[in-house]
Amino acid sequence: MNTALELQHVTKRFGSHIAVDDISFRVPTGVVFGVLGPNGAGKSTTLRMINDVLAPDEGRIQLFGALAPGLAAARRIGYLPEERGLYAKMIVLEMVQFMGELRGLTRADARQRAGTWLERLGLGKWAKHRVQDLSKGMQQKVQFATALIHEPELLILDEPWSGLDPINADVLRNIVEEARAAGRTVLFSTHLMEQAEKVCDAVCIIARGRKIVDDSLVDLRRAAAERGRIALEFEDDEGRARAEAGPLADPALVASRAGGGDPTLPALIVELAEGISGNALLAALLKLPVTLRRFEVVTPTLHQIFVDRVGAEGATAEPREAGADENGGPR
Amino acid sequence: MSRSLDRSLWVVARREFLERVRSKWFLVGTLLGPLAMLAVIFVPALLAGRETAVSVAIVDRGAVAAGDPARELLAKELVAGLSLIGWIGELAPDATEASLLAKVRERKLNGFLVIPEDVLGDGEVIYRGDNGTNAPAMARLAQVVTAVVQRRRGAAAGISDAQVLRMMAPVRVTTQHTTGEAAGASGMATFIIGYVIMFILYLAIILYASNVMRSVVQEKTSRVVELMVAAVKPRALMGGKIAGVGAVGLLQLVVWLGMAVLTLRYRDSLLGLLGVKGTGGVTIPPLSIGEVTVILIYFLLGYFLYAALYAAVGAMVSSEQEAQQAQMPVMALIIVGLACVQIVANDPRGTGAVVLTNLPTSSPLLMPMRYLLGGASAGEVIVSLLLLVVAMAAAVIAAGRIYRVGILMHGKRPGLRELLHWMRR
Repeated sequence: MNTALELQHVTKRFGSHIAVDDISFRVPTGVVFGVLGPNGAGKSTTLRMINDVLAPDEGRIQLFGALAPGLAAARRIGYLPEERGLYAKMIVLEMVQFMGELRGLTRADARQRAGTWLERLGLGKWAKHRVQDLSKGMQQKVQFATALIHEPELLILDEPWSGLDPINADVLRNIVEEARAAGRTVLFSTHLMEQAEKVCDAVCIIARGRKIVDDSLVDLRRAAAERGRIALEFEDDEGRARAEAGPLADPALVASRAGGGDPTLPALIVELAEGISGNALLAALLKLPVTLRRFEVVTPTLHQIFVDRVGAEGATAEPREAGADENGGPR
Repeated sequence: MSRSLDRSLWVVARREFLERVRSKWFLVGTLLGPLAMLAVIFVPALLAGRETAVSVAIVDRGAVAAGDPARELLAKELVAGLSLIGWIGELAPDATEASLLAKVRERKLNGFLVIPEDVLGDGEVIYRGDNGTNAPAMARLAQVVTAVVQRRRGAAAGISDAQVLRMMAPVRVTTQHTTGEAAGASGMATFIIGYVIMFILYLAIILYASNVMRSVVQEKTSRVVELMVAAVKPRALMGGKIAGVGAVGLLQLVVWLGMAVLTLRYRDSLLGLLGVKGTGGVTIPPLSIGEVTVILIYFLLGYFLYAALYAAVGAMVSSEQEAQQAQMPVMALIIVGLACVQIVANDPRGTGAVVLTNLPTSSPLLMPMRYLLGGASAGEVIVSLLLLVVAMAAAVIAAGRIYRVGILMHGKRPGLRELLHWMRR
């Protein structure tokens, strides 16, 4: 499989703060790839380096096989930054056309494609208005058009769902699906695991500037499922109490457990000890006088995988260090 | 510079140019500038042609006491003299000061002239009127009073009117400005045009250079800059912005200079169309092509120098208000040039003028003026231009480095040490 993007030991410092610390990952062509992490993990900095907005202090970034970030690569990349701004006084059509020209299209071609894209996004009749006359949702669509007009091989979306209304979130999901269907590569960052889970083929999880793991979603899930997580519900509280005092308290069977007491979340989630199968736990439970209402092997969510890998404390937002601002870094 | 960098610079420049040229303010500013210039020329001429008669009372303190015919003659001659300058004099030998002041207050009189008893000796003639601030009118009044009193003094000493007139006839003295050319031009006119050009250059440079700063700040506050730097090199973004805004400035300046040249050339016939006779006064020498070229070159280079500095300031700050403060050092540089204009005007070939017109921060304003005044040879202009080009290149490179780091930064403004650090990278 061809490689659309590869990072090798990339590091970026702002003063004494290390925003991105020795990150490496590879994005094959045609894949929808998510860079996941809490706020302040270094996702935007990583994406900015790929877009040549920032230069890495160490390591190497290669695009489309052999290109370094720069103008030549930029013509093949579409970018939707986290900080979304447009020239408010520009005519909508000309704004999109302008970005197309900067990405290497000829003036005439850019103009024609701008019109086509605006039509496709349902903004045809707004093409001749000024950007500032559009609603926020419509401006977001104009943003999409500026990222897509040159039909980039690699689409980079930084926190694309933040601030989107539900309609535009769907529009964006369609854009990603279309890109995937056309064999293009999509790289996006997000802290929203639910969104990532719906669209990603593969992810790279980072926290505090460091890579935690990168793999395809299928393999990540398989690896997580091997750790064995079971959802349990009992017919009555006495049964549950007996189970909790018995096999569920046995560290040879169960590594940890959570939930269960809360009536709105009746399921008790237990994690099996290493090498223990679900059957072993079920057999132990059935020796007791308990009535089980539910016994289910849980497919781990991306969120669960994320929490497992990063740890609950790493998964919470981390304040950005003041040093980053003063030394010319991103916000 | 690679071709793609060239192209993106051009695309950015075109956007900046079109955005400004299409705005209503550009149309208004470009047309209003020349209109203001026309107004400067026509309004005074029109008003001067329609000055209403001034009526004054003449109180002769001497006539009351002596009742002598010579004093009556003095009063009559004053009335006649005043009529020559369009004033209506009316003798009021018995009026009190209070009643005259009341008439002025009620606008029945413009003013009154009090002739003291010993006016032929060293008595002081006093005029008080509502037109006392009109310097030219007061000068004409003084002329009339002086001529009349001098004639009376002559008569008292037995000198005939003809003899007095001959003695008092003005001696013709002409001052011309020359630095060696055969034909001299009116010194005053040359100074005025040099001054006007200097001021237009100052306005145009500061207007457009600070426009670059505002545009940088707007890109930062609207966050569009992130989209831009992903698609173009910061160098091309800054360069395109400076070029696009500069093209607007150049266009406007050419329109203004063109209008000025035409207006000055056809001034009398334009005034004639409005039914006003050419007022003569100072004749303004027309600008030669060479002079216009020098003016435009200094505008462009001066603009590039200051626009680069302003772009760096814009990149350092996060809001318009902050920009207003941060631009003060750059403002100060250009204002030094403006403040030193008199040094060049008074002695265009002196040491002060030479220093100021070679210093790149003030040469864009002052060298065109010095050149118009004939204080600088073509060789001196070229040396000053070379210095300006070097300074401009240095400013563009330094500003480019500050800009590259600064545009992505929000929050605290960098200190001087940090700026130097940015420039070294």
